[in-house]
Amino acid sequence: MNKKFDRIAGTVFLLIGLFFLTESQKLTGSAYGSQVGPEAFPAGLGILLIILSFRLLYETFKYKDSRSQKEKFEYKRFVLIFISAIIYIFLLEKIGYIISTFIFLIITFQIMERGKWLYSMLISAAFSFGVYFLYVELLGGVLPRFSLF
Amino acid sequence: MDTINYLINGFTIAVQWHNLFFAFIGVLIGTAVGVLPGLGPMSGVALLIPVTASMTSGMPADQAAASSIILLAGVYYGAMYGGSTTSILLNTPGESSSVVTTLDGYQMAKQGRAGAALSIAAIGSFIAGIVALIGLVVLAKPLSGIAIEFGPAEYFSLMLLGLAAVSGLAGKSMTKALIMTVFGLLLSTIGIDVVSGIARFTYDQPVLYGGLEFLTVAVGLFALGEVFKTILVNDHANGTITKIDRIMPTKKDLKKSAMPIARGSILGFFIGVLPGAGATLASFFSYLTEKRLSKNPKKFGTGAIEGVAAPESANNAASGGAMIPLLTLGIPGSGTTAILMGAFIMYNIQPGPLLFEEHPDVAWGLIASMFIGNLMLLILNLPLIKIFASIIKTPKKYLLPLIIAISFFGVYAVQYMTFDLFLLLFLGVLGYLLSTHDYPVAPLVLALVLGPMLENNMRRALTISNGDYMIFLKEPLSLAFLVIAVFWLIIPLILKLKGRKVIINDED
Repeated sequence: MNKKFDRIAGTVFLLIGLFFLTESQKLTGSAYGSQVGPEAFPAGLGILLIILSFRLLYETFKYKDSRSQKEKFEYKRFVLIFISAIIYIFLLEKIGYIISTFIFLIITFQIMERGKWLYSMLISAAFSFGVYFLYVELLGGVLPRFSLF
Repeated sequence: MDTINYLINGFTIAVQWHNLFFAFIGVLIGTAVGVLPGLGPMSGVALLIPVTASMTSGMPADQAAASSIILLAGVYYGAMYGGSTTSILLNTPGESSSVVTTLDGYQMAKQGRAGAALSIAAIGSFIAGIVALIGLVVLAKPLSGIAIEFGPAEYFSLMLLGLAAVSGLAGKSMTKALIMTVFGLLLSTIGIDVVSGIARFTYDQPVLYGGLEFLTVAVGLFALGEVFKTILVNDHANGTITKIDRIMPTKKDLKKSAMPIARGSILGFFIGVLPGAGATLASFFSYLTEKRLSKNPKKFGTGAIEGVAAPESANNAASGGAMIPLLTLGIPGSGTTAILMGAFIMYNIQPGPLLFEEHPDVAWGLIASMFIGNLMLLILNLPLIKIFASIIKTPKKYLLPLIIAISFFGVYAVQYMTFDLFLLLFLGVLGYLLSTHDYPVAPLVLALVLGPMLENNMRRALTISNGDYMIFLKEPLSLAFLVIAVFWLIIPLILKLKGRKVIINDED
C-alpha cells in the first residue's frame, strides 16, 4: 500500500467523478425513445465515483504505509523507450511503416541492451518487412507507405 | 437430439482446414504466451484480436468471426497449458493461475521429475478441457433457453451481478476494484449515445465520437502496462531451467493423479462458470481441496504429483467453464472473457442466448474446435515440452520492443488513427501505475465492454416502467440477481472483518 499514490489517485478519481457529474448536466436533448435521458447514467456513475473516492481517501488514513523494500527502477531506460515510441508514432505516417518500425526496433533493442548490432538489424528488418509483407501483400490490409509526395 | 446435431454440425465447421489451422495457431501462440512470464492470457488475446481481424478480413462475416474466435479461444486455453511449464521448470508462474503449481511442481523438478510433472499437467489439462466441454454442451442450450426469457430489467441486474462479482473478488481492496469498475463504466459513456444520438463528453473531437476503442484500452492497460513494468523493474530471470529427462509419467504417478484430476476438473469447471471467480481461484481451491482430502497432507509442498495434477486441471476446466456465461448469457465473468466478448462485438455478433439461434455456426463451431484444440495441445505438449520450455530464454532485449511494435501494429491496423497510438501509450503508463498499486485493471475492461449494454438495458427497463426505478426490484428474477450481487460484495467484506483470509482472484 502506498499512501501517497492512493491519495493522489483518490483525488484524481474524485475530480473525474465531479467532472462527469457536472458535465453530464449540460447534456440536453430529448429523451426520445426512452424515459431517461443521456445524462442519467453518467451522472449516477459520477456520484458513485465521488463516494468511492472519498472512501478511498478515508482508507488512506487507516492503514500503515508498507513500502518495504525499495526496488531499483530503470527510469532512464523507460523514458528513452517511451520517447522513442512517441517519435515512432509521429514518423509512422510520414516515412511509412517499414522504415519507422525498423528504426524504432533497432533503437529500442539498443536501449534495452547495447551491442549485437547485427542481430538487432536482422530482427528489426525481419519484423518490419515481414509484417508489412504479410499484412499488406498477402492479406490486403493498408499500412502507411513511404512516399515523397 | 438437437444438441447432438448441432454439435456434429459444429465439428464439420471446426475440421475445415482453415479452422484447424486457426485452432492450431491459437493454441501454439497461447502456449507461448503462457510460458512467457509477464504476458498473460489477457494480453495475449488482446494483442491477437487485430491480427486475427486482418487474417480473416477476406472471409464472409460469419465465417471470419468463427475462425478468429476459434483462434482467440485457443490462445486462452493454450495459455493455461503453457503457464504450468515455467511454474514447474523455473519456479516462476507464467500467469497467475499457475501460481500454486510452483509449490509442488518446482519441487518435483528439483527431484528430477520435471518431465512427469509437465506431462501430468498436460494430461490433466486435457481431461479438464474435455470435462468443461461436456459441461458446456450440456448446459448451453438450457441456459440460453432460460436467458432468452429475460427482459431488460433482468439483464441489467444480471450485468450488475457480473460486475459486482468481478469487483468483489479482484485485488486486495474492494474500494479500489469498485472504483475501477465505475471508472470503466464512465469511460464507456464517451461517444455518441445510441439511444438519443447525442455526443457525450466528446467536446467536438471527431476521434472520440466512436467512443474509446475497447481494443486500444485492453492492449494498453494489459499488454503495454506489463511491458512497461518489465522495462522499469529489471528482474533478470535468474534461476536455471531444470533439465527434463523422462517425459512420460510412471503408472504410479498416473494412478495417484487420476482422482485429483477428476476432482480438479469438476471443481474448476463450476468455479469457472461463476462470474468473477476465474482460473486462479479454481487452481487455489482445488489445491486446498486435495490437501484436505489427502491422507498425509504434509507431503504437499515437497513434490506431490497431486499438487500439480489438481490445480492444472482446475485452471483449464475453469477457462472452459468461463465460456458458459459468455456464450449463453452474453456476460463475461472475467477479464479474458471480457476481451473475447469484445472480439465477438467487433464482428457484430452479440454473445448471449440468441447466439445459438442466430449464429449456430459460430457457437457450435467454437465448442467443437475447443475439443480439437485440446487434443492438439496434448499432442503438441508432450513431445514439444522441451522446445516450449526454451521459449523462456527469449531475451527481454528483443521481446519487449517487439511486443510494443506488435501492439502498435495491431491497434493501428484496426483503428488507422495515430490518436489511438498515443492513447495506447498513455494507457500503458496508466495500466502500469494502477496495477502496481493494487488497482485491478480487469474490472475496468469488463466495465468498458458491459457499459453500453448495461445502460441500454437500464433505459429500456425504465421506459417500460415509465421511469419507475422499482422495476428492478419488482421483477422476481431481477431482484434475485441484485440480492446475489449484494451478497457477493458483502460476504468478502464480512470474512475480512472476521479476520479470515480471503482468496482473491488475480487478473486472468
